[in-house]
Amino acid sequence: MSPNRTPGSKAPLGADLVIPALALAFAGYFFVSISDLAWEAKANGVLIGGVLAALVAVQFLRVGLQVWVGAANLGFERLLLPHHALAKRIGMVALTALFIFSMDWLGLTLALFLATAAALYLMGVRKRRHLFWIPFWVAVFAYVMFIAVLDAEFPRGPVELLLARFF
Amino acid sequence: MTWDFVLGQFAAQFGLWWVIVPGILIGIVVGALPGFSAQNTLIMLLPLTLAVPVPTALAFMISLYCATHLAGGIPAILVKIPGTGGAAATTIDGYPMTQKGQAQQALVLCFTASVFGGLISTVVTIGLLPWLSKVGLYLRSVEMVVVMLFGLTLIAVIAAKDLLKGLIAGFFGLLIGVIGTDHIYNTPRATFGFLELYDGVPLVPALIGLFAISEALVMIESKLIVRREGQERAAEAHWADTVDGLRLSVKHWWHIVWTSFVGLIIGIVPGAGASIAAFVAYQQSRMWSRHPELYGTGIPEGVIAPESANNGVTSGTLVPMMALGVPGGSTAAVMMVVLQYHGMVMGPRLFDTNPEIAYGVFISMAVAYIFMIFTILPLARYMSRIVLIETTYLVPIIVLMTIVAAFAGRQYQFDMALALLFGVIGYIAHKTDYHVTAILIGVILGPLFEEYLVRALRISEGDMSILFSSTTGNVLWALLVASLALPLVRTWLQRKSWVGNVKPDQ
Repeated sequence: MSPNRTPGSKAPLGADLVIPALALAFAGYFFVSISDLAWEAKANGVLIGGVLAALVAVQFLRVGLQVWVGAANLGFERLLLPHHALAKRIGMVALTALFIFSMDWLGLTLALFLATAAALYLMGVRKRRHLFWIPFWVAVFAYVMFIAVLDAEFPRGPVELLLARFF
Repeated sequence: MTWDFVLGQFAAQFGLWWVIVPGILIGIVVGALPGFSAQNTLIMLLPLTLAVPVPTALAFMISLYCATHLAGGIPAILVKIPGTGGAAATTIDGYPMTQKGQAQQALVLCFTASVFGGLISTVVTIGLLPWLSKVGLYLRSVEMVVVMLFGLTLIAVIAAKDLLKGLIAGFFGLLIGVIGTDHIYNTPRATFGFLELYDGVPLVPALIGLFAISEALVMIESKLIVRREGQERAAEAHWADTVDGLRLSVKHWWHIVWTSFVGLIIGIVPGAGASIAAFVAYQQSRMWSRHPELYGTGIPEGVIAPESANNGVTSGTLVPMMALGVPGGSTAAVMMVVLQYHGMVMGPRLFDTNPEIAYGVFISMAVAYIFMIFTILPLARYMSRIVLIETTYLVPIIVLMTIVAAFAGRQYQFDMALALLFGVIGYIAHKTDYHVTAILIGVILGPLFEEYLVRALRISEGDMSILFSSTTGNVLWALLVASLALPLVRTWLQRKSWVGNVKPDQ
C-alpha cells in the first residue's frame, strides 16, 4: 500500500496500465509491420511480441480483478502527484519540445540560451543575475563544445552566423 | 618475452606521461558526457595521432579510451545519468548510495574498481595473450546467445519485487530493440516510416531519455537529490569518506578481481562490449551474493561489479585486434586505422615482427591505469558536492544539455525528439515501478541477441538444436541454469533451516 493512502481507501491503478497499453499498441503495430517478411526477419519479434502481449494480458487481468473486488480504482494519481510539480513537469517537456523545433530558426546557441532561461524561470528561479548568466554560460559551453570544437551539424542561427565572421 | 623487455617497456611508457595525462583528462570529460564516445573523440583527433610516432599515439589513444570507461560511472552515480552504456548498470546501486549521502564512497569504489579491474585484466592479458587470443574462436554465435541470456536474466533479477512489471518492462525494451532493418534481408520493421530508425533505435537517445530526462522529471519533486537523512553527511564530505571508499574497495578486493575477468572474457568477443559485460557482471554478482536482496539499495558490490567489468573489457577488446587483426569494438577499429597507417600489419606475426607494439599496447594500458588512479581519486571529494546543487538549477541544465548531447552521436535532430519521447516513457515507467533499467537492458541486448540467434539459426537452417551443439555452449547453458537455480535453492535451504529452528518451540 502506498504510504499516502489511508487504510480502506482504494489504490489508484490506472497509471499502472499506461506502460502495458503502450507496449500492447506497439506490439500490435510491430506485428502488422512484419506480417509480410521472411521468417528470419520476424522470428525474434513474434516471439518477444507474443510473450509481451501475454504478460500485458495478465497485468490487465490483475488490475481488473483488483478493481472488481473494490480494492482499487482506475485513477492516475501516481503520475500526477504531487500537484506542485505537475505544471513544472509538463512545462519542462513542452519547453524542451519547443527548444528542439525552434533550433531550426534560432540556431543552437540562441535557442539554448532562451530555453535555459525559460526553464529556470519555470522552475522558480527569479534572480535576474541567475536568469541571465547561467543560460549565458550554458550556451557558451554548447557553442564552444559542439560547434567550435566538434563542428557538429547543428542548425546555424544568427549567433552562429555572426560568430562565423570572426572565427 | 623477457622481464627485461617488460620492464623496459614499462619505463618507456612512464616516459610518455605528457601524453597519458592529457589523454586521461580528455577521456574523463568525454566519458562523463552522455552522447560522446571514445571513438568519436579519437576520430576527431585522428590527424594528431597520425602525425606522432606510433608509441606516443598509442599511449594517448589508450589512456583516453580507458578513462572514458571509468568516467561513464561518475554521472551514473551522482545524477543517475550513465555517461556510457557500460555505466548503465552502475546506476542501480551507485545512485541509491548518493541518495544516502555516500556519493564520495560510491565514486571512490567506482574509480578503484575501474582502475584495478582494468589493471588486473591488462596484466593477465600481457601474461596470457597467446592463449586469450584463442578464446574468441570458442565463443561463436551459439555461445554468444547464452552469454546474452546471462545479461537478459538481469531483467528478472531487477524485477524481483514485482516480476510481472519487470518482465513487461524488459520485453517492451526487447521489442523496441528489434526496431530497424533485420540482419539478413535488411527489410525495415516497425520504423513508423522514419529513415532515422532503419539502423535500429540509437542507444544514446534511449540512454539519455530513459535515465537523464526521466530522472530529471522526477527530481522536480524534491529540493535536492540527496534524501533528507543523507544531506548532512553529503554536505560535510570529508577526506575520511574517500578513505572509507578505499577501505570498502580493499574489503571487496576479490569482487574486483573476478568481475574484471568477466569483462576481459566478454571483451575478447568482437562486438560484445562494455554494456553486456557490466550487466552480466552485475547479474552474476547478485546471483552469487550472500545478500542478494540488498542489491539495488546502494551497496558497494553493486558499484564494483559493473565498473570492474566494463574496464576489464578495455584490454579484452584489443586482444582480437592485435592477435587476429579483427577489431573487438569501434574504438579498437580507430586504433587499427592509426596502426595500419604507420605500416603495422595486425595479426599473429605482429608479436614476432613488432613485439614492442604488440605488447606495448597492453603495457601502455597498465601504465595509463596507474596514472589514472592518482589523477582522479583526489577529485572524488569535490565531484560529490554536485549533489548539493538545488534541483531548481540542476533540472533545466540536465534536461537541455542532455537533449543537445543526444544530437552529438548521429547528428540527427530526430534523435533529440527521440530522447524526449524516451524521457516521457521513462518517467511513466519510473512512477509506476516498471524499471527503466529493465527497458534499457532490452534495448541494448535485444538487437545483439537477435543477431547472434538468427546467425546461429541461419547456419543450422532453422534447427533450434544447434543451440545445444557445442561443448562450450553446453557448459555455458549449465552455468546459466545453475546461476538461475542457485537463489531458489538458497531460499529453499534457508526456509528449511528456519523451519528446523522454530519447530522445537512450537
